[in-house]
Amino acid sequence: MENIVPKKEWSVAIRYNHWIMAFSIFALIVTGFYIAFPFTLTQGETVNKFFMGNTRGVHVFFGVILLFLFVWRLYLAAFSRFHADWKDFFAWTDINNTVKQIKFYLLVSKEPPAHKYLYGPLQSLAYGGLLFLVLLICLTGLILMGAGYHAGWTALIYPVVKPFEIILGGLASVRYIHHVLTWAFVLFIIVHVYMAFWYDVIFKEGTVSSMISGVVFRKGDH
Amino acid sequence: MAHQKSAQYDRVVRKQYRELMDRCKVNLDRMDSELPPPVEDFQDVLKDRGVSRRSFIKWTSIMTGALMLPPMFKPMVARAAEQFSRVPVVWLHMAECTGCSEALLRTSYPNIDDILLDTISLEYHETLMAAAGDQAEQCLEKALHDFPGKFVCVVEGAIPLAMGGKYLTLGPKGKTGLQLAREVTSKAAMTICIGSCSAFGNVQAAKPNPTGAVGVGQALGIETVNIAGCPPNPNNFVGTILHCLMFGGLPALDGLGRPVWAYGKRIHDYCERRPHYDAGEFVEEWGDDGAKKGWCLYKVGCKGPYTFANCGRIRFNDAISWPIMAGHGCIGCTEPNFWDTMAPLEKPIQDATIGGGEATVDHIAMGLTVATVAGIAAHAGATAWVHRDDKDTANKE
Ligand code: HEM
Ligand code: SF4
Repeated sequence: MENIVPKKEWSVAIRYNHWIMAFSIFALIVTGFYIAFPFTLTQGETVNKFFMGNTRGVHVFFGVILLFLFVWRLYLAAFSRFHADWKDFFAWTDINNTVKQIKFYLLVSKEPPAHKYLYGPLQSLAYGGLLFLVLLICLTGLILMGAGYHAGWTALIYPVVKPFEIILGGLASVRYIHHVLTWAFVLFIIVHVYMAFWYDVIFKEGTVSSMISGVVFRKGDH
Repeated sequence: MAHQKSAQYDRVVRKQYRELMDRCKVNLDRMDSELPPPVEDFQDVLKDRGVSRRSFIKWTSIMTGALMLPPMFKPMVARAAEQFSRVPVVWLHMAECTGCSEALLRTSYPNIDDILLDTISLEYHETLMAAAGDQAEQCLEKALHDFPGKFVCVVEGAIPLAMGGKYLTLGPKGKTGLQLAREVTSKAAMTICIGSCSAFGNVQAAKPNPTGAVGVGQALGIETVNIAGCPPNPNNFVGTILHCLMFGGLPALDGLGRPVWAYGKRIHDYCERRPHYDAGEFVEEWGDDGAKKGWCLYKVGCKGPYTFANCGRIRFNDAISWPIMAGHGCIGCTEPNFWDTMAPLEKPIQDATIGGGEATVDHIAMGLTVATVAGIAAHAGATAWVHRDDKDTANKE
């Protein structure tokens, strides 16, 4: 019999962060697309309807959650007591290994890249890129939010982000960038989910369940 | 508790306003002694044009409100209005259509703004003055000589920079717009850009901008007050001058040089169709049922959500109407580069076509999504084939 060793890969914090972020982004895509392509509710009186208003409310709610998740994720990357993984985001700097992984993914070679970091080279690029996208969409989102809500906390944040509104060329450009970034998230999710399952099938280590249980099952003696 | 707090708040605010009022009085007195004497008595001018005392008082209320001041400032606004036509003004025309002058000066019947602008002491205005050629040039020189550092320079129109500015030459000496603007603004007390052309370049600066047109502030590297709009509302120009007269300085400006009292909130924030937006009631196409019911114009291209201006609050033509009230969406004319960033004007922004083709960003992204899914299916199939005999692929540390 082969030796199968359970190994804790993800801390509780990372797992919560991952799933709340996944749900928030899903909710943001759905509500965001309604804001971009609203359909008309023809039935009923205007006074009894607040569909766009509520959708925007939900969108901004999850938007702010995403912002906090982002900050939390950066904190974990730097200071997590389980495994501060900021170095792992640079796995791609090992160019030979990156080439190896590309070949492995393209099914040209059957030899997997060395597993030196928490992330493979391409994962490190993808997840680093994702965090950058989250930063951009939070920034553009905060600008749109500040322009539309004039009281409370949002009124405090707006002056801070307003200079970016001017640099980006006005609210219309900000909204356009926000819209384009949404598609980047859609594409990321499709590829990300597929690759998670692909790993699971190829290595049979329980990649998919690891983000729930925190454990991968390594074969061999390490 | 709450009551006490609000009483205290009231006291603080009242005290602030009283101090502001004192400053305002001192400043108006100073202006009275410094400004050139009036040509005509203001009350006579109003009477001659058939404006009753009552209409004038009404106008001061509106103006006071528009400037975000409490009612106690109405008499101050009235005094500033009397001084208004004594401010020497040099009005330059650059690359533009004179639409702003037209919008400011023409009306069905005169209201106070129009009278103020009619009687403004224009030392030089290329469209309106009788003088031409050399004589006009002399008027300008005289104004610069008589009121150095005292006059207000109003600029209408963008400044072309390409070919050393030669796309725009004017006057008997064939000066470029750039030269003229630099000469005059350097001697002015302040420069007010009227309209989006002088503020940001506007249509002249729209892609591909062959003449290299830019706004005045950018062309000369100076601070300007930007009364944006295509055309702007006369109120916003008049109000800004009144503010300067009353408080001896410019009103607060936003990051783009626009007075915050007029351009601090978006069209979307004060739009009368806004409840329909939040309800999810949209005009789907021109003339449909929604259009008849006055629903939100977002889906037929309204740019109100991206546009800072007070059009909906003060409206145009003696407050009769404004674009969204008339049934067309806002086109975003108070924003920089709006011909480029707000296009297409009758569709939402994400429907802008890319690179001269037919495709929008959504078409491209949808194509990419389909391609990705197809790629994944192919990859999954190929994986099943290539790795068909694998027992285990070890993930080596
Ligand atoms: C993955 C994250 C996000 C996605 C996918 C997303 C998606 C979208 C989309 C598609 C729109 C409509 C844009 C258009 O009309 O073209 C939108 C609008 C908006 N988003 Fe997001 N967004 C995200 C994050 C955020 C964040 C973090 C915030 C704020 C903190 C935010 C605040 C807003 C606001 C205020 C609007 C404008 C709504 C309005 O006009 O009332 N979004 N979003
Ligand atoms: S018509 Fe335009 S400004 Fe008015 S609510 Fe609709 S989108 Fe906003």
